[in-house]
Amino acid sequence: MNRVLTVAASEFLTLVRTKAFIIGIFLMPVLMGVFIFFMNYAERHADTEDRRFAVIDGTGVLFEPVARAAEAFNRQSGPDDARTGPRFLPEPVDLAGRALDDVKVDLSERIRKKALFAFVEIPATIIDSGRDVSVRYYAENTSYERLPDWLRTALNDEIARRRFDRAGVDQALVATLTARAPLTTFGLMHRTAEGKVTEAKEVDELTRFALPMFFLVLMFMAVMTSAQHLLNAIIEEKMSKISEVLLGSVTPFQLLGGKLLGVVGVSLLLALVYFAGGVYAVVAVGRVDLVDPALIAWFLAFLICAALMFGSIFLALGSACSDLKDAQSMLQPAMILVLLAYFASFMVMRAPDSALSVGLSFFPTMTPFAMMLRIVMPPGPPLWQVLVAMALLLGTTVAVIWAGGRIFRIGLLMQGKPPTLPELMKWIRL
Amino acid sequence: MTAIAIRSVSKAFGGHVAVNDVSLDVPAGSIYGFIGPNGSGKTTTIRMIMNIILPDTGTISVLGRASTSAARDDVGYLPEERGLYKKMQVRRLLRYYGRLKGRSLASLDPVITEWLERLQLADWAEKRIDQLSKGMAQKVQFISAVVSKPQLLILDEPFSGLDPVNTEALRDAVLELRRQGATIVFSTHDMGTAERLCDRIFMIYKGQKVLDGSLDEIQARYGHDTVRVRAQGGRAALADFPEIESINDHGNSQDIRLKGDPQAFLQRLVLKAPVQHFEIAKPSLHDIFVRIARPTPEDLRQAGEAR
Repeated sequence: MNRVLTVAASEFLTLVRTKAFIIGIFLMPVLMGVFIFFMNYAERHADTEDRRFAVIDGTGVLFEPVARAAEAFNRQSGPDDARTGPRFLPEPVDLAGRALDDVKVDLSERIRKKALFAFVEIPATIIDSGRDVSVRYYAENTSYERLPDWLRTALNDEIARRRFDRAGVDQALVATLTARAPLTTFGLMHRTAEGKVTEAKEVDELTRFALPMFFLVLMFMAVMTSAQHLLNAIIEEKMSKISEVLLGSVTPFQLLGGKLLGVVGVSLLLALVYFAGGVYAVVAVGRVDLVDPALIAWFLAFLICAALMFGSIFLALGSACSDLKDAQSMLQPAMILVLLAYFASFMVMRAPDSALSVGLSFFPTMTPFAMMLRIVMPPGPPLWQVLVAMALLLGTTVAVIWAGGRIFRIGLLMQGKPPTLPELMKWIRL
Repeated sequence: MTAIAIRSVSKAFGGHVAVNDVSLDVPAGSIYGFIGPNGSGKTTTIRMIMNIILPDTGTISVLGRASTSAARDDVGYLPEERGLYKKMQVRRLLRYYGRLKGRSLASLDPVITEWLERLQLADWAEKRIDQLSKGMAQKVQFISAVVSKPQLLILDEPFSGLDPVNTEALRDAVLELRRQGATIVFSTHDMGTAERLCDRIFMIYKGQKVLDGSLDEIQARYGHDTVRVRAQGGRAALADFPEIESINDHGNSQDIRLKGDPQAFLQRLVLKAPVQHFEIAKPSLHDIFVRIARPTPEDLRQAGEAR
């Protein structure tokens, strides 16, 4: 056991001292912050062009309201030097006796020359007719949806107003009468032991999205960091022939155990750092209620299992390769296992209690991700499901460590061509 | 007392028999040389002694213990394929290797300091391995095998790739360890080193033990059929003697292996050319090695067919 701890301590110290780890542990949140900021910024600043469009107004009364609405919209986009949105600039079209089609061809030509972004044709009968008459929007860039979307709303508001007027109905009254009642999502009510009914918690974006995401990304990061490190370390040891020196002092199982223990330690350190950050952030936004010790305990249990299970898979495969290039092809299946679990988790996030999510959460390589998410997200799985999944995961972890150890034992001294899958199977049985 | 007792050990990899029914006793306190051509089973034997691979049949006991893993902590090992963590500092690495042998830091540190000073590495203790020259790294590797103060030291090709100064330093270190009571087994391709350093020599060839004993015993067994000759005319003077089996030409002198009586050969040689030097010599370890390991016509024929 002493030797196992010696190996574990050395592994741990080696990993946490690498630049990649130190940078990674701080860089990851920074990168995520930058990403979110950039997305926000891009959303606000990417579209600040002038969108000049022509209006062929068949009704003769709709251009003015559209122009007014456009002015209001442009005010929202902010002043010229700090614009956060586009500017819609309508211009009226006077047919002046020309044929409609000629005018439309001319306008199209102007769009091609970039003098104009789009034009709309409003049929004369649009206010009187029902759904069978359509406003026609012409543009070269038909994927730009902001202008037609805005136009649809602006025109329809005005058309509806005119229709109500004509029918002698008060517009303000209609607005009050058709006002939509908001819907807010809550969790379930509780009655405490003293018989007091506790306030149901309002479920907001933070619980619905940010918290599961936090756990998911943290789990993924921990698994990837440890797996990547184990792989690199074992290949370095094989390539620089350290393995045999080590095997002169410890058994392969002691070596494997020490390495796994080392990365479990690193995973826990990673979790600790991020939990500290998470708690700090949660306290800062005044949502201490999000910190749930039971949740953290479950997470750590799943994290340890995941680090052990994926760790021994990566170690076993790494030990079977003689250089990084072999390892890369050898690792693809294992990598897919991790990535699959990661991406399937997004499915679980969308519907944590669907049959698919429940099924996925029982599959051992998925359990650390999927079951974790189900625990984080309301309504949460029944306890028996968590326990069964945990038992399956533990069983698989033990089996994988055992098989990994057997491959490791032989792989460490192998040089040259990496083994095929049947050969690996033979090593396990040997 | 016997440091290593190997009894009828065999090991095959796939269809290839790497070690075939080998028995060997290494007495405690001796320096035992393992020699043999590449691929003859030396490293496999050493790995089995280290319990890194297990024999198919036979038993090995080390330092009186049947399971080598029990003795592991008292055995220092320098594998042929050697390696160090490139990014680790010298002292940290030596501590790690020592701790893997179950030694406490308190007992390791003075030993590490002593060895680093002795092999002129004291200034490099805090440097990373990848900042060391190749020779220095080899010395660090050697230290890593001895920091645990092993009773038995197994060195696979310890001197290969070292310059003469470092070879000398390591050789002195090995002798010093033996004086302190350690048993040392080392494998080498350098017959000169083996002759000078070893109490006993073990040669393995094609998986089988072909030599085992002290240098005197071995030389006695290979008899006095070697004659060192310096005759006028050099090698040309030695033509047309049917009793000459082989000639090892050193230029000014020739080592000859004879089938017949050396005296009769001398009489005939004197008639042919003036003889300046004639010595009935013991065969060198090198000659014995080459004699055993030189491919036979049978080997060549098989190699030809395989091709």
